[in-house]
Amino acid sequence: MHPLRDKTAIVGVGASPQGKIPGSTAISLAVEAFKRALDDSGLKKEQIDGLLTMPGSTSPEAALNYLRFGETVGINPRYTGSKVMGGGTAGALLHEAALAVNAGFANYVACVFGDAAATGGSRFSRASGWGDSWAIWGFMSACANSAITASRHMALYGTTSRQLGEIAVACRKHASMNPNAIMRKPITIEDHQKSRWIVKPLHLLDCCLISDGGVCVIVTTRARARDLKQPLVLISGMGQAYTTENMEREDWWYVPHQKLAVTDAYNMAGAGPQDIDVAQLYDNFTSSVLLWFEHGGFCKVGESGPFVEGGRIQLGGELPVNTAGGNHSESYMEGWLHIVEGARQMRGECGERQVQGAEVCLVTGRGQALNCSNATILRKG
Amino acid sequence: MSEYTKPLPTITDENHPFWEGCRQGKLRMQKCGDCGHIRYPISHVCPKCLSYKFEWADLSGRGEVFSYVVFYQLYNKAFEKDIPYNVALVQLDEGPRMYSNVVGVDNDAVKIGDEVEAVFDPVTPEVTIPRFRLRTTTS
Repeated sequence: MHPLRDKTAIVGVGASPQGKIPGSTAISLAVEAFKRALDDSGLKKEQIDGLLTMPGSTSPEAALNYLRFGETVGINPRYTGSKVMGGGTAGALLHEAALAVNAGFANYVACVFGDAAATGGSRFSRASGWGDSWAIWGFMSACANSAITASRHMALYGTTSRQLGEIAVACRKHASMNPNAIMRKPITIEDHQKSRWIVKPLHLLDCCLISDGGVCVIVTTRARARDLKQPLVLISGMGQAYTTENMEREDWWYVPHQKLAVTDAYNMAGAGPQDIDVAQLYDNFTSSVLLWFEHGGFCKVGESGPFVEGGRIQLGGELPVNTAGGNHSESYMEGWLHIVEGARQMRGECGERQVQGAEVCLVTGRGQALNCSNATILRKG
Repeated sequence: MSEYTKPLPTITDENHPFWEGCRQGKLRMQKCGDCGHIRYPISHVCPKCLSYKFEWADLSGRGEVFSYVVFYQLYNKAFEKDIPYNVALVQLDEGPRMYSNVVGVDNDAVKIGDEVEAVFDPVTPEVTIPRFRLRTTTS
């Protein structure tokens, strides 16, 4: 049995208000999330001796974010640092926190993110590539990378835009049951089809939001977690994998590293796709979610389009996905809220959107130009 | 003639042979002097064997459309008059892949798997941008 299986717990989660928050900054939103996570955990600020942060796209201090944040909230951690992997960061920091508490580097690690991307100016439209950037040919934006994936998946496997729409519809349906979600008005497949093209084959409703907000997740060992106030939520399995070759690797478009990340997480947890009751799958674009079903072993390669049809991924279906609304409809916190929702589902505190009897949750993250991925298996303690 | 306002490469000692090749109507990439791997994007080191040795090899300019998207959203104002414009990920016959545009046909006429060949678009006196056209089918 893997020595880290079920050895770590998420003991506090907190999120600031989400949406357009005039006057907010990346730091102010992160601080509010930190305060709420502390309240949620029952821990005092002085007990937080580990701090791992992800700078927002609007954080001027960039990778020195850990210093700026630590100074702002007045703590002196034994273990700290910042990491920048886009949507792959939240899970990677959660894993790093798990390693740190099990190694004794720190007892209680706060993982923190804040960004004012909605009011502070989106920075997600830049061109891909180094040096002679692909912008010479007009290739720009995060959307374009996912459109490349979607387009080839459609050509090889017959996947349709309406199938992508199923994912947007599910996220929105779930957000309608989440009072903290930004986009709560239900949508239909027809709404998805009628929404304007962004980078064809992706419509507007294939794309995530751009949001202001902050999120904090507090991690400790299983042994310490038993003394705290929340129901036990265990980190049962963790996996990460990356493809940094981009153009040099023929199957880069298919983000093959995601399969490695999920498989490692399954192996650590001693679990498989048949054990997953609910999943929070990183959804920067709808096409990304399709690939998680294939890489996670829920369906065969190329069969994720039909898999999402018929309400299977909605609450009440076989595999409810993104039960708080995801990046598409809850808020674009680059996957941080996926961890929060996973923990809340395992606590059983989600009210109308609670998956009844759920005991195992898969949470995934991905980021950059299809480069970064991670997977976490959460288990009800 | 109106000024070309879209992004241009910064010509350096390292990439000069690529862009000079384009000016001469040849798609040219770096071939490793040790393992023979042809690489792109341009780099000072072979990503396969880490050798610094290379030569610039003329390629056939032929390949096929590996993936294909059409931009409707404007991300850079210089492309305003081009919207909607296409970008193809082209699989070159010699191995490398590159992003470019398929010219000479409607956006809807291009399909993944279509065979293409390089054409050269002089946009400034210094810079000629390689793009692609569909190869004529004789069926």
